[in-house]
Amino acid sequence: MMAIPAEAQDTPLSMVLSPDSKWEKIAGGMNFCDACCTDSEGNFYFADAGNKGPIKKVSHDGEVQDFGPSLDGVSGLQFGKDSSLYICQGKARRISVLKNGKRLETVVENVRPNDLVVTNNNQLYFTETSTQRVYHVNLNDEVKVLSIVDTGILKPNGIGLTPCDGTLFVSDHLDKEVWFFRIEKNHKLSMKAPYASLRIRGKNLPSRGDGCDADSLSRYYVTSDLGIQMFDPTGRLGGVISSPDPMKPVVSIAFAGKDFQYLYVANGGTIYRRLMKVSGVGR
Amino acid sequence: MKILVTSFFVLCIFWPYVALSEYKYTEDSFPKNGVPKGKIIKKEFAKSKIYPGTVRDYWIYVPHQYNPEKPTCFMVFQDGNWYQAAKGHTRAPVVFDNLIHQKEIPVIIGIFVNPGVIPSEKEGGKPRKNRSLEYDTLNDQYSRFLLEDLLPEVEKDYNLTKDPEGRSVCGISSGGICAWTVAWERPDQFRKVISYIGSFTNIRGGHAYPAMIRKTEKKPIRVFLQEGENDLDNLHGNWPLANRQMAAALKFTGYDYKFVMGDGAHNGKHGGTIFPDMLRWIWRDYKKAK
Repeated sequence: MMAIPAEAQDTPLSMVLSPDSKWEKIAGGMNFCDACCTDSEGNFYFADAGNKGPIKKVSHDGEVQDFGPSLDGVSGLQFGKDSSLYICQGKARRISVLKNGKRLETVVENVRPNDLVVTNNNQLYFTETSTQRVYHVNLNDEVKVLSIVDTGILKPNGIGLTPCDGTLFVSDHLDKEVWFFRIEKNHKLSMKAPYASLRIRGKNLPSRGDGCDADSLSRYYVTSDLGIQMFDPTGRLGGVISSPDPMKPVVSIAFAGKDFQYLYVANGGTIYRRLMKVSGVGR
Repeated sequence: MKILVTSFFVLCIFWPYVALSEYKYTEDSFPKNGVPKGKIIKKEFAKSKIYPGTVRDYWIYVPHQYNPEKPTCFMVFQDGNWYQAAKGHTRAPVVFDNLIHQKEIPVIIGIFVNPGVIPSEKEGGKPRKNRSLEYDTLNDQYSRFLLEDLLPEVEKDYNLTKDPEGRSVCGISSGGICAWTVAWERPDQFRKVISYIGSFTNIRGGHAYPAMIRKTEKKPIRVFLQEGENDLDNLHGNWPLANRQMAAALKFTGYDYKFVMGDGAHNGKHGGTIFPDMLRWIWRDYKKAK
């Protein structure tokens, strides 16, 4: 508190949620939606992680199309440079990349990726929940080298970046803490701290911390057991946004749509979106 | 009629202002002729083991009367720059000069410490601000930062007392609840607390303190709480109500406390102007010889 220059301090939900905007159903009837992401134009992408099938692309007007080849168990997506779409395929034990929506290549294999991010300078980080690891891959290298950059988060799950790429954060599906790291010049992670704490349903109950995103003012959004939790740039809980369908898990989110002003969520077998007062970063 | 209407509008526009007290500094907060001045030394601390990667400025006020042979009382101020700055809300060094000289308080070293930031390694990247994590969290981490990181550094140059009655913590807003948390966690080390407009609200769970105080055996802490009727009412809570709850819990449990409710907002004006009296009250029975 106190005389801190206006950034996004003291942000109640009323600063991000418009009272007249409601959740809008975009796609339904799937098994388990996951892997929300946006491209640089605000088209939205997701996958039905519970079924084999193509990734889905949602245009600004809400039209849903298939995108690329049929894939199994996709749990994380993000675009990097040159419209390359990076894909977590835990079941197939690899991270692959889809180039120009057509050509599928393997980036690294023999891993079980859950979720990933790609920085503006082409560094890929991903979580491997089962081994409690966070990995890094320099996508600029000809030969891709996997390095472990963190261990010990109980169930590392969602992963996100601040708009400036200086800070990376990882949600824990079990514990309530969201862990923040500094990205060093050599791409390693340092200065790990439990900077934001998720509200949990009760003592010893899992947070189910999962998908992460940031808005353009560095507020953080993390999906959880209780809904979508919003934190201000200093890691203080701003509020819990109710899931569109609280009886189903909400596991992934992304700002997308026109000017990245829609918050898209994967909530059970359904994708919803809601017009926000704030906009996303565009990745 | 026109005058009446005009007066009414003028009154409406200025009502909130005319209702507020104008808090004025007393002579205790101005330099006085013949009063020796202490030194203020600015330093940087970047070696924290408790908050790895943080860097922060801090200032040491060393009173003219300081005797390196004698273990000396001290006060740690959170958001230290605001407290030590010559035009800040509190002007603590001047007040110390005056009250120490007048023998109204013991000889006190001031340690004014800012919250940490973790600079970004990326060019143009934003630093991670550690203030809320350090100040608003209800655990012993910040007290450990003081005891294991910062004070050993200060003790290399200054003779600080080990007597917990001679060690005080002070802060404003989140720094206020932080000062309370330090003493609450480590009353064996710190027993005097001053809070200005303390954030005993739910920023990171601080609203729990009144309930905890009522159901915990009284700790040997003396605390001065200052608050204002026009303080914040936001997503984290209502500051005047939260401070009233604190005061009521302290009263219920039998603490040595003082609660002053003014009509100010979320700033250090009221607290700053009554700081000399806060010092007199909190140090009132401390043996001057110590």
